[in-house]
Amino acid sequence: MSDRQRFETLVLPHLDAGYNLARWLLRDEPAAEDAVQEASMRAFRYIESLRGDDPRPWWLGIVRNTCFTMLERKRNTPDTVEFDDAEFEAVAGPAEATTSDPAALLEQRRLRTLIDAAIRALSPVLREVIVLREFEDLEYAQIAKIIAVPVGTVMSRLSRAREKMREALMHAHLGQSNPGH
Amino acid sequence: MSLDDQDLSALIRTHATRHTAPASLRAGIRTQTALAQAGRSSAPPGAKAARWRWINFGWGTASTSFALGMLCMLLVLPVAQRFNPGEPLDADLVARHVRALQVGPLAEVISTDRHTVKPWFQGRLDFAPPVFDLAGEGFPLMGGRIEHVRGDAVATLAYTHNRHVIDVFIWPSGEQQAPVRSVRRGFNVVHWADGSMQYWAVSDMDHEEVETFARLWKQRAAPI
Repeated sequence: MSDRQRFETLVLPHLDAGYNLARWLLRDEPAAEDAVQEASMRAFRYIESLRGDDPRPWWLGIVRNTCFTMLERKRNTPDTVEFDDAEFEAVAGPAEATTSDPAALLEQRRLRTLIDAAIRALSPVLREVIVLREFEDLEYAQIAKIIAVPVGTVMSRLSRAREKMREALMHAHLGQSNPGH
Repeated sequence: MSLDDQDLSALIRTHATRHTAPASLRAGIRTQTALAQAGRSSAPPGAKAARWRWINFGWGTASTSFALGMLCMLLVLPVAQRFNPGEPLDADLVARHVRALQVGPLAEVISTDRHTVKPWFQGRLDFAPPVFDLAGEGFPLMGGRIEHVRGDAVATLAYTHNRHVIDVFIWPSGEQQAPVRSVRRGFNVVHWADGSMQYWAVSDMDHEEVETFARLWKQRAAPI
């Protein structure tokens, strides 16, 4: 199998996962595209080093590192303003609706906006553990390997992230509705 | 109300936005990997070994000799062309710069926004060149184009500075060459490399200004 075929069968199926991670970490659409593209060229170049490992955490690790390099670079360039595409998302609106009941639809949108905002408000270090755990359903050990910290650190970051999100959601009076349904 | 970890988990999993990669990104990446694969020296190591065995077995036959001759030609010609170019690389780049100024296009994608210029290269090149706007430093980005230098597609960025135009030619290279400066037909050329790409800035501005531009660029690029 050529490297390209390996890349297409092992990495490309997880492109959405990588893009989702980059999008959440960088909070900017063009930057996320840049990062995923850069990461995919890196993944292609080093695809040989992936020997029988699970490709998804490996690929997410590359995306994650590319994003943090970009965040670092951005921080060292003080004259750039961090661009948050939150407002634009509000215009675009969430695409998928699982109900046709207007009231339920409105409630779903409200929840989405609240939860998205709570995740976005986290620092990148906390945000990444939430995305890797809740979106990608990775195990603590896999997350620890991706971000190169001990499992204990992953757990404490996760609990800190959840605590902050809980505060944010409570603050937004999520309690008025019935969570999770 | 209370919200335990499981509730929170369920909320995130059900309601948070899950971004999906745009089709253009997927297509761009697939094109890039296809080009990168094609651009690799030849077949993977395993296949190469098999070919050598095949050649050794049939050494005496005319058809193998012929194939070997063809193979030599295919391998040697591009290498020979590369090592024995008609004119020095910097002169070639100056000629391209002049041609772009005279007949254009100076920019196939016209934009001062690096987020427009950089994605434009997607699917057109097998590498992702760094793109910076240096408007804050007096060198606004005009746009980008692709030049073909010695058979390789090269990213070219055009900047302006006091009505002068600067072209930056960028292509991937592992070399960590020492910076080179030269003057060709009155144009100043500054060359540098960072171990992953090499850069050639060409302009009719005076040498110090081109050097300043190169320094600003390097500052913006670091740390990689």
